Amino acid sequence: MADEAEGLPVLPHIAGEFYAWLWWSSETNGAHFELGEPVGSVELWVDERLAFRNPDDTKVTAVMTGDNPAATLEAKAALAGGKVLQELRVGLRRDDREFLFTLKGPSMHLQALKLPQVVDEGGEEVLFERMHLYEEVVFVLGGLFASFSELRTTSRWVDEVLPGLHDWVLGEDSES
Amino acid sequence: MGIVGGAMTIARFRVEGDLVEGWRDIYRDRLQEHAFRDPPVEMGTEEVEGWVEVHNLLDAEFDDFNKWLYNNVALFALRVDKKRLPAKLFKATLEKKCQAWAAERGIERVPAAVRSELKDELEQEWLKRTLPAVSVTEAAWSVDGRYCILHSLSEGMADRFRKRFFRTFGLTLVPWSPLDFVSDKAGRVDSLLSCAPSPVRLGGAEVRLSQGRS
Repeated sequence: MADEAEGLPVLPHIAGEFYAWLWWSSETNGAHFELGEPVGSVELWVDERLAFRNPDDTKVTAVMTGDNPAATLEAKAALAGGKVLQELRVGLRRDDREFLFTLKGPSMHLQALKLPQVVDEGGEEVLFERMHLYEEVVFVLGGLFASFSELRTTSRWVDEVLPGLHDWVLGEDSES
Repeated sequence: MGIVGGAMTIARFRVEGDLVEGWRDIYRDRLQEHAFRDPPVEMGTEEVEGWVEVHNLLDAEFDDFNKWLYNNVALFALRVDKKRLPAKLFKATLEKKCQAWAAERGIERVPAAVRSELKDELEQEWLKRTLPAVSVTEAAWSVDGRYCILHSLSEGMADRFRKRFFRTFGLTLVPWSPLDFVSDKAGRVDSLLSCAPSPVRLGGAEVRLSQGRS
């Protein structure tokens, strides 16, 4: 186990696989994720940016932006070409609250997180609300990562997820 | 843009260590002790840093809890000042001064010691009339939640912030890992740690995008 002062390690390949899983799951499940209690159901979709790196590098080498880049051939071609997702901008909806943020790098930092504006004014109220909403995003991400990690650490990853991802990247019907 | 308004860009840390008894008063005093203090006008090119309030970087007094402690969330910012001289202009000006010094005395070369003295004089003169570059990085510490968020993804800033946080509060900031999401699930972290990159690659030689590629 890792040194307490340094914390748990950051695993770059796990982040890349998590991003790919989010993207694939979102497209194949119509953006719907059923995470069970206590998180419940959420919607998540890839928004206006995907950034890829080469597997042995940390620098971004390909970026797709604009309107619905996740649907472009180039984006899937990057995955098919062996590139690893380094950044993924996503939209998230839970109940009537909608968030936008970029998951960045192996540490899954939150970048350019846009929160729903629930409270308009009142310095203290706004801060409480923003902290609460930030914690909600982290809470949901925790639920998503728990679902992913449950699959990733069982044979279902190899038996079900990877073949599904493979077919999806190639545009093949997994039923066929 | 920051923690109190606009889009947030967040690095997250776990706070390790025991809170001291009566932490509100003690941490207020510690923040005050490590607050930003205006350096003298003649400050050199060294960096000067300290805590300020997030609402205004000129406010560095933490006596009033209402300005920085919201329930059990402490909100403050790290201000770093650094003066920079325009290097090319400075070098050219120094050259002119050296030439003038030599011309006055009818000699061709300026001794190294004199050159150094002229350089120091010019540097002091310019630094007095140079305003520092100021950076302010916001942070929110959820004391109950035992985490702290920093509004920056810069590793250099994170290191600086962690050091000052430790010097101020005696608590360690541990960079957050995605594995922390599942640290309460028995065996999950160890299972993930033992996961090699997926054996079936999504790309490269494993897939065919067209008939012509294998």
